[in-house]
Amino acid sequence: MTDTPQHIVKSYEQELNRLRDLLTQMGGIVESQVAACTDAVVERDGDAANRAIELDPKVDALEREAEQFIIRLLALRQPMAGDLRAIVAALKCAGDLERIGDYAANVAKRSIVLAQFNMPYSMGGIAHMCQLVQENLKSIIDAVGENNVELAVEVWRSDARIDEIYNALFRELITYMMEDPRNITPCAHLLFIAKNLERIGDHATNIAETIYYSVTGEPLLEGRPKGDNSAYAVVRPPEEDTP
Amino acid sequence: MARTLRSRRRQFTNIAALGASTLATVFGLFWLVWILLTTVINGYQALNLKLITQMTPPPGSDGGLLNAIAGSGIMIAVAVLLGAPIGIMAGTHLAEFGKKNALAELIRFVNDILLSAPSIVIGLFVYELVVRQSGHFSGWAGAVSLGFILLPVVVRTTDETMRLVPTQLREAALALGAPKWKMTLSVLYPAARTGILTGLLLGVARISGETAPLLFTALNNQYWSADLAEPMANIPVVIFQFALAPYDAWHALAWAGALLMTMFVLIVSVGARFLLRERNG
Amino acid sequence: MMLGIATETATAATLTDAVPARISMRDLEFFYGANRALKGINLDLPERQITGMIGPSGCGKSTLLRVLNRMYDLYPGQRATGQVWMDGVNILDDGIELNYLRSRVGMVFQKPTPFAMSIYNNIAFGVRLHESLGKAAMDERVEWSLTRAALWDEAKDRLNSSALGLSGGQQQRLCIARTIAVRPEVILFDEPTSALDPISTLKIEELLDELKKDFTIAIVTHNMQQAARCADQVAFFYLGELVEVGAAAQIFTAPTQKRTQEYITGRFG
Repeated sequence: MTDTPQHIVKSYEQELNRLRDLLTQMGGIVESQVAACTDAVVERDGDAANRAIELDPKVDALEREAEQFIIRLLALRQPMAGDLRAIVAALKCAGDLERIGDYAANVAKRSIVLAQFNMPYSMGGIAHMCQLVQENLKSIIDAVGENNVELAVEVWRSDARIDEIYNALFRELITYMMEDPRNITPCAHLLFIAKNLERIGDHATNIAETIYYSVTGEPLLEGRPKGDNSAYAVVRPPEEDTP
Repeated sequence: MARTLRSRRRQFTNIAALGASTLATVFGLFWLVWILLTTVINGYQALNLKLITQMTPPPGSDGGLLNAIAGSGIMIAVAVLLGAPIGIMAGTHLAEFGKKNALAELIRFVNDILLSAPSIVIGLFVYELVVRQSGHFSGWAGAVSLGFILLPVVVRTTDETMRLVPTQLREAALALGAPKWKMTLSVLYPAARTGILTGLLLGVARISGETAPLLFTALNNQYWSADLAEPMANIPVVIFQFALAPYDAWHALAWAGALLMTMFVLIVSVGARFLLRERNG
Repeated sequence: MMLGIATETATAATLTDAVPARISMRDLEFFYGANRALKGINLDLPERQITGMIGPSGCGKSTLLRVLNRMYDLYPGQRATGQVWMDGVNILDDGIELNYLRSRVGMVFQKPTPFAMSIYNNIAFGVRLHESLGKAAMDERVEWSLTRAALWDEAKDRLNSSALGLSGGQQQRLCIARTIAVRPEVILFDEPTSALDPISTLKIEELLDELKKDFTIAIVTHNMQQAARCADQVAFFYLGELVEVGAAAQIFTAPTQKRTQEYITGRFG
């Protein structure tokens, strides 16, 4: 709606702008949270983990602020059409961002446990997933700030790649666990970390759908291939040698 | 300092203006009160039962104003019967059917001239029209001349009150599927009723004091006469004649007649105000 | 995942499509002298639904109402072209019996317009124009219409006192009762609550909801929230043109036209 003229009531326009600012502020914090938890996992950086965890209450507080502000807007301004969609969308985005913050904090907590273990195998898969999730998150937060539908659709589509990596990691980690029971604790944590990252990606796509509806007025109905197949995944242990 | 000076100046101007306008009011009221007081004091002395039970007396004897009161009453009533329906219908036509066309504007203009025409001119006109044609003065002629004076008042007030009725009320009636005549009769008249009635009362107040037109038309009658074909007694002309005559008894009757007439006009006018206030309130 | 309101939009749109039209306007144009106030309007009023008409002042929405009961006939220099179909008849035809048309298409005005007569006669006035009812039947009709207009309880003990003694909201409900007493098929409301307080307004809105069970309703309003609350179908007019028409939920959540969006979000001009 960048080409729409200003509101006749200027304070309303200011309030809508403030709402957008709140969201981008939230988005910025969540972005750095995810970045920190990535460092915590990949670089085994304990300080980064603590940073990610400490940021979480801030995100929660911002979500509450956004929620109250939105309820006030709905009651006092009785928004219509594009404004109504934008405000309801903001409410949903705030919720999604808050969840993303929770997942990032959870990843950070697990990374601290993980740091106590020796990791005999490559962290390449997780690192790649982290990178993709971060990219998507950055794009979607930009899309929220600019009401950019194309960018949102791009994020929405690229989530399939995150799911693919997640599926691959799932199989890989289960295989490690089957190989050596001592791997079970770190791999279980890694599995949850991967799951959380995958959820972050899902919330980014939720935000993409919300933006799409908010800007165009139509739901994003096109079938998105759901890439998370881990629910059906069966990994069989290697055939034991018969003695 | 300048400030107090200016405010003093303002105060002075204020007091001066207030004083001047109060003086002007008092000046106007003074004469009115004087007239009313003189009428009341002089008329009050002649006020007695004979006034409404006996005829106007011949010179030198006692009497009342019964025939004059009755004559005035009859002629005013006939004038209203003649003037009011025509006036209301004409006013309705102007307000409802001829809103802005040239004919309506012309009629309004002529009506305004009639409204401010000197009543003696109307008296002369009816004298030519009725008295000369029939060969004698008559109650009819008096009633017709009063009717002519009443007519423009009624036309004007009807026109104006009907135009004050909101357009939405007309449309509301028509939107129910009412034909225009039905809308006028059933919706507009009730809505404009008090206004029209007020106009009528003001017209009655106006004609009840008219002397000049009656001098040329109804003349006077010393005896009881309820026959409109005959000359007819009436209060204004009786006052006029008795006041000019050299008899004290006649003077007293003239004062009493003046008081009666003043009271009547006062009551009618107050009644009209009352109606107006009721409508606005 | 999509927003809950979107689902609503889809159902409401199909609902309006499925309902037959009570009045159909085709290529309707309206002229005040040489000034074209309505331009090529094509609009259907769906049977037993409420059509809300919104738009800035002078956009032609009130003019449109006055075409539907030919109120404009009162004023020389005003004329309409095109077609307005109702029961297979073009009501713009010269041969149309206006008083009959107006008994089929009733109208309620912006300001309450009670006649200077008793409450009872206010209602009986319209009925008597078109039907000759006996005393009992008339009593029944008066009670029926006052009940439908949610005024019976307040008015039943004062039927013979002047209608001018009612409050503004009551007067407006009386005008609605008067209109439905004639038993029209279509009722036109021209900003019926703009002179009323919020509670009286809500009572009228509740009444509209009740009335649409029996009548096809068109309402002109400057209050967008009111159109959103009451109307099934909403038409947005601008400068004599019908810019957009659609289910209320669609118009107020996702209008397709830029001008509609700008108007209803308060970003006009």
